[in-house]
Amino acid sequence: MTHGDDGKHGDDGKAGGQGKAGSQGEGGDQGKAVGQGDGGDPGKTRDQGEGGGSGREARRGLVGSVVTVTAVTAVLAGLPWAAHDRLPGRLATHWSGGDVPDGSMPLWAASLFPAGVWLVIALALTVRPRRSRPAAHPWRAMTLAPTGVVLVGAQICVVRANLDHADWHAARQPLLGVVTLLFAAVAAAVAAWLLTPRGPAAPAAPAAAPALPEDERLVWFSRAANPWLQLLAAVTGLIAALALAALAAGLAAPAGLWPVCAVCAVTSLAGAVCSSVRATVSEAGLKVSFGPLGRPARHWPLAAIESARAEHRLPSQVGGWGYRLSGLGTTVMLRAGDCLVVRPRGRRTDFAVSVDDAERGAALLNALRGGKA
Amino acid sequence: MHGASVISTMLLRLDKTDTRPLHEQVAGAIRRAIAEGECRAGDRLPSARDLSTALDINVNTVLRGLRELRDEGLLEFRRGRGITVTEGAARRSGLQIRVRELVAEASRLGYSRTDLIDMIRGIS
Repeated sequence: MTHGDDGKHGDDGKAGGQGKAGSQGEGGDQGKAVGQGDGGDPGKTRDQGEGGGSGREARRGLVGSVVTVTAVTAVLAGLPWAAHDRLPGRLATHWSGGDVPDGSMPLWAASLFPAGVWLVIALALTVRPRRSRPAAHPWRAMTLAPTGVVLVGAQICVVRANLDHADWHAARQPLLGVVTLLFAAVAAAVAAWLLTPRGPAAPAAPAAAPALPEDERLVWFSRAANPWLQLLAAVTGLIAALALAALAAGLAAPAGLWPVCAVCAVTSLAGAVCSSVRATVSEAGLKVSFGPLGRPARHWPLAAIESARAEHRLPSQVGGWGYRLSGLGTTVMLRAGDCLVVRPRGRRTDFAVSVDDAERGAALLNALRGGKA
Repeated sequence: MHGASVISTMLLRLDKTDTRPLHEQVAGAIRRAIAEGECRAGDRLPSARDLSTALDINVNTVLRGLRELRDEGLLEFRRGRGITVTEGAARRSGLQIRVRELVAEASRLGYSRTDLIDMIRGIS
């Protein structure tokens, strides 16, 4: 990692970096605002932002993002330059386990390469592929913080290792630095996780709660199944059973067949549990049970639910099918479309399950909750 | 994948002031759901155990109510497919509800079922 040509080059890099960082920060912040605004029209959110406190907060967030990304870029690019009087013409930048370096870069490359990597990662994490997709910022912060720490730490290690050496071959592996770096990266990830609010700061508008008929008890049932996951569970289950039978009969080498049997059995079980889901809303609260046997099941009493709403979600938003943890919270995703989303009391993340007619389920849940209060 | 998934949903209403036996109330709630189009022909009902937990009614009582509906021709019990709503159950359940109302009204006014049958026969 290095630098080189001349000051002019480096300045260009920095200036370019700042420019890019600025636009990234903006992109990221619009994303944040849209995410909070329930994935609505970005234009609308921006207008709202200009008015109230949320706008001020968004602007503060934007400035923060720009400053952070720019500062890290400047440190990455500037560090080798700051010490270039005491550095060799080429810097040792890679060690393959041994004490002797096996890779080097000219000064300008050692300066611009990590800065470029940082900008590309920051850009990739901030720009959303689609407007409709809410920005999942806990993951962004959790990736950016350790990435920044690793890159800056690595840059410091490289510069320190090369300091006061006439030739890059003389640079020694900064082992202690690397270990410290790894711990710092983990610490940064944990700190980012603890400091970032997960999910929308305030739960999105709950579904309307219609007045409950005084003398009626309402119970809402809904179910969703994914035939592809059912098929997967059936096929892998069959393979697992056949493999087990072959093993029992001594038809095949156990060494080769045991892993097949185990993997298929686990896949089958996971597929079966996630292939169908049932949601029930009654005076006892919300119950979500998985699989054909209704086990396992999760249950929230009415008092444990802060609000409920219906939301349209796609597998691409939550990372695929099945039981998913993402920036949107927990989602039991069996198919794209209607999801019943609840915010458990005292939590900052949502629980969502993809079932049909979620609007009515959410409304009933809110009405029952209101009635109890 | 969206179109391929099996979807089923139902809202059941139970009258809290109802004094009839619980199995009749269960049957009544499902009959009403069918009549109001909450569940259509071929739809699968939640299992008796699920209904029992959600309604907080003993599973045997729920099963008794479900069997009544099967005897009325509204539900079908099929091994492996659970309990499903029969073809034409919507029309039938509407009529069933009105017949029940008629019987209840007649008994309130002091007429027996035989009196009611005679009246129906007397209609030309």
